[in-house]
Amino acid sequence: MTPSLILFFSLAALLELDTTYAFQLMLSRGIVAGPLLSLLTGDLAAGIQVGVFTELLFSDINPLGSVLPPSATVCCAISLALNVLGVPLYFAFVAGVLGAWLFSYAEKGMRKIRVRRVVFWEQRIMQHPSEIIYVVLGSLGTSFAVNFLLISGVVLLFSKILVPFVPAIPLRAHMACQFAYIAVPWIGLATLIPQFKWRKGGR
Amino acid sequence: MKFTHQLQFFFRSFFLQAGWNYMKFQHIGLTFVMLPFLKRLYRKDKDALPSVLSRYLETFNTQPIMASFCIGALAKQEEKIAHAPDMKDFNEQVEQWDDLKQELTITTASIGDRLFWGTLKPMTLLLALFIWVAMGINFFEVELPAQLPVWYALTGSAMAFCVFNSVALFVKWKGLQISYNADEKNCFGLTGFDWNKTIFYARRIAFVLTVAMLVTGLYEFLKEVVLLDVHFVTRALIVIFFICICFITRRLRIPNMYLYLAAVAVFNIVCYL
Repeated sequence: MTPSLILFFSLAALLELDTTYAFQLMLSRGIVAGPLLSLLTGDLAAGIQVGVFTELLFSDINPLGSVLPPSATVCCAISLALNVLGVPLYFAFVAGVLGAWLFSYAEKGMRKIRVRRVVFWEQRIMQHPSEIIYVVLGSLGTSFAVNFLLISGVVLLFSKILVPFVPAIPLRAHMACQFAYIAVPWIGLATLIPQFKWRKGGR
Repeated sequence: MKFTHQLQFFFRSFFLQAGWNYMKFQHIGLTFVMLPFLKRLYRKDKDALPSVLSRYLETFNTQPIMASFCIGALAKQEEKIAHAPDMKDFNEQVEQWDDLKQELTITTASIGDRLFWGTLKPMTLLLALFIWVAMGINFFEVELPAQLPVWYALTGSAMAFCVFNSVALFVKWKGLQISYNADEKNCFGLTGFDWNKTIFYARRIAFVLTVAMLVTGLYEFLKEVVLLDVHFVTRALIVIFFICICFITRRLRIPNMYLYLAAVAVFNIVCYL
């Protein structure tokens, strides 16, 4: 893994922390994470497009209660990294969406695993309240490491599968993925209309 | 509320969800936010701190931005508990603290989810889209300009980021102050804002922006058409099909993501037929 890839995955893992564990300043949303990550890949237009498409595609799933939407940052990171490695953006985006979907399951697993640590954390905090800072830092550090490993792992896996076969992909498959790709903004915008629909006589 | 306390609550509240888990949700984060305040409040009675912490280490789950209303109100109630003159009053105040925590988390979560996730986030997305389209970045097309100035890319993002956070951070900061100074009569400051009216009008604006963006997309799509070739008709049919099917999938609660992945599969099959 090259230093530039390590930097890219580190930024993606750091931005992903903003989704749940720290800040919630919306640095992890598609339209911010996409252009930020594309500053490292050098293709700003791709960053904007992937960011916009990701956010529109996932706009119908909100983090209400314990609902875990697919991660926009992970989708942008996987799509942009694969694009840099030579995979056309409309193929890379399919991998990005699949990666984000898988990531949400991995995240759910992490949260379940964390339950096992809760009793230990509580005892530690009750005995030494000041050590809560280590619990928080440990939790953030673990999440960062897991994000880094999952994002880099998925990118490396998809790149091993996709990159060698890109020249051999038939023209029809290119066309099919392009058609699905151009439908994404329309799917997203059409979903937003019912979300904001006029309700008669009520607020 | 003292300014230093408010500042400490404010900065620590960015880590409210650190340690989020399916058992007690944000309990570690809440304890982290409240700890310096509790230490100061119980500095003369350090033996009381573990039992106080055990109350904070119970289930807590709300919307992270609106949590400031809970934090301020809980801090105020904690002061009442710490200064309770006798055991009877102490037990009553603790009971009130429990009720307050349960009621406020539900109310603030409901308001926060509708306002921030359901309205402000998509609204700021539309704002960024309009900025990019105005700058000539037509993201409806597969082919985009090869080179873009950095400030082009960052203007839309920065605008969405600033608008969202100016509202979110204002609510976070003010929520601490208002809920601390308010009481049960005005629902710990929550009635100070007309949330329903704000969400109602914000949604109306967002609806108009969404329709305007759809019209802009259609205009961008049609403006360079010179003849009705197969490529144009195919694209037009795809766009109309997806706009129509989205209303159905929305009713059936099928996520967009599955619709997109199904589209990839179906188009591949169709292209090979």
